[in-house]
Amino acid sequence: MNMETKLEETPADLEDSFSPSSEEIESWMQKAFDMAKEALESGEVPVGCLMVYNSEILGKGRNEVNETKNATRHAEMVALDQVLEWCRQENRDPVEVFKQTVLYVTVEPCIMCAGALRLLNIPLVVYGCRNERFGGCGSVLNIPADELACSGAPFKCVSGFRADEAVEMLKAFYKQENPNAPKPRTRKD
Amino acid sequence: MEPQCKRRKPSENETIPWDVFPVLSDEQSQSITLLDAYAAPIINKKETSRIVKELTLLYPLPGLQHLKRVRACKGSGSTHPLEVIVCLVNDVRDIDSNTDMSISTLLPRAKMDSTGLGAPFLVKIPACPPLTRPQFEQASRHWPTSFHEDKQVTVALKGQLFTADQKAKMQEYMTAAVMAAKAGQDLGMDAVGAVIVDPQSGRILARGHDNRRGTHPLHHAVMVCIDLVAHGQGGGAYNFEKYPACQFLAVDSSHCPENGDISSSRIMFDSDQAEQSCVPYICTGYDLYVTREPCVMCAMALVHSRISRVFYATTSLDGALGTKYKIHTQKDLNHHFEVFRGVLKQECEDLKDSSAPIKSLKS
Repeated sequence: MNMETKLEETPADLEDSFSPSSEEIESWMQKAFDMAKEALESGEVPVGCLMVYNSEILGKGRNEVNETKNATRHAEMVALDQVLEWCRQENRDPVEVFKQTVLYVTVEPCIMCAGALRLLNIPLVVYGCRNERFGGCGSVLNIPADELACSGAPFKCVSGFRADEAVEMLKAFYKQENPNAPKPRTRKD
Repeated sequence: MEPQCKRRKPSENETIPWDVFPVLSDEQSQSITLLDAYAAPIINKKETSRIVKELTLLYPLPGLQHLKRVRACKGSGSTHPLEVIVCLVNDVRDIDSNTDMSISTLLPRAKMDSTGLGAPFLVKIPACPPLTRPQFEQASRHWPTSFHEDKQVTVALKGQLFTADQKAKMQEYMTAAVMAAKAGQDLGMDAVGAVIVDPQSGRILARGHDNRRGTHPLHHAVMVCIDLVAHGQGGGAYNFEKYPACQFLAVDSSHCPENGDISSSRIMFDSDQAEQSCVPYICTGYDLYVTREPCVMCAMALVHSRISRVFYATTSLDGALGTKYKIHTQKDLNHHFEVFRGVLKQECEDLKDSSAPIKSLKS
């Protein structure tokens, strides 16, 4: 197993609850990977994620683009909706809850999801592999770190957890999706 | 035409003239960058072709194919007819720069015969090929370059890309977006509205307003419209019944050309898309009209949705289609689209101002 997680920035200014131990990361990420596998089996892009608040899973998501015909239904957006639903049921203020919620996701959030996470003031994102095509946390753009005065607060990222495995799942998806497609151009890692 | 006597406040139904301008990539909109080079007069015109041939071998100027090597010096009062680029200053950097550059320093006798060339002098030359007419005009002031003009961009930059009929259509669609914004505002929302249009049929497929102060903090007008289009295609993830101004038009594949109706047939630009032309696929081929520039989340949602063109009225502080980012021209992304700003600018400017304080939560 690849345990080579790297902290892009030391989250020293984050509260203790937002500096998850490697045991915590391992157990939450395991669940996120289970979600990604489920997506792969349903013919969706294999990305899985969880939103964890106070050691409780408030939202779980996997890609639902094909079934909704809505290209914005990424795993993160699906999970965010569940957190909002939880807030409604528990009569909690989403603003307060999101401020203390950590996202665990198998692939780097895309530019859209990074924008959404920022707008909701999510403080920390733990992810597996980079997203060379759409990545919004450094690969194509760096939304969490950029200066955007009217778009919520910057957030921290911890990346690289089981990255190889996450990449393998993506490769498996693109292989199965279109067997007739020409061989995809391979990127050197 | 009626004479305009006095300046008066425009009434509700009167629109103020507007222009539409393209939001170009940084490469297209920035001013040109320049490189330092040595040029020399060609004293003996008969030597020109030999000089150019030998210079090209000695100093090939890689990546600068847009430059014309020789320029004519007509009417500049000079005593020689032609000047030629010898080399970049960087090409001869290892030569002691304190010594005055003579032609024999730049062209050592062993390498090239400098007969016919005068004393070298410094010039600035454009580092990249010009992409737009303003860039071409700027570049040409320094040194002649070739220019493969994109006529559409030139016309667009003059604000003349669209005909009066097309502008009337745009105004109609943006007015629909403004109406949606006002309907949302009456419900206590930020006054932002959007419509998604199929330009081939001219039909509005979805119309929505910002709901972030309502049921969902991420329901910006664009996100609402994208989901409404999905509803029209038999999908969708949210229920907007609470918001009567958020509406969609159901589209089905019975309007395929094969089925005898050509009104909704789309002009497809490549064979990949042509295969799917009957089944509407997310926002492929559609236009978005939105009262203000989308944020980064919405802009990227439009990339994922394969939107064809975006028209917005006014810019936003953190806007991602021109202001902070140009997501529609972002390198590495798999889909790009055209963006125009300015449609019904003043009306939407007024909306933005009225948006600031929330008036009342009830209409």
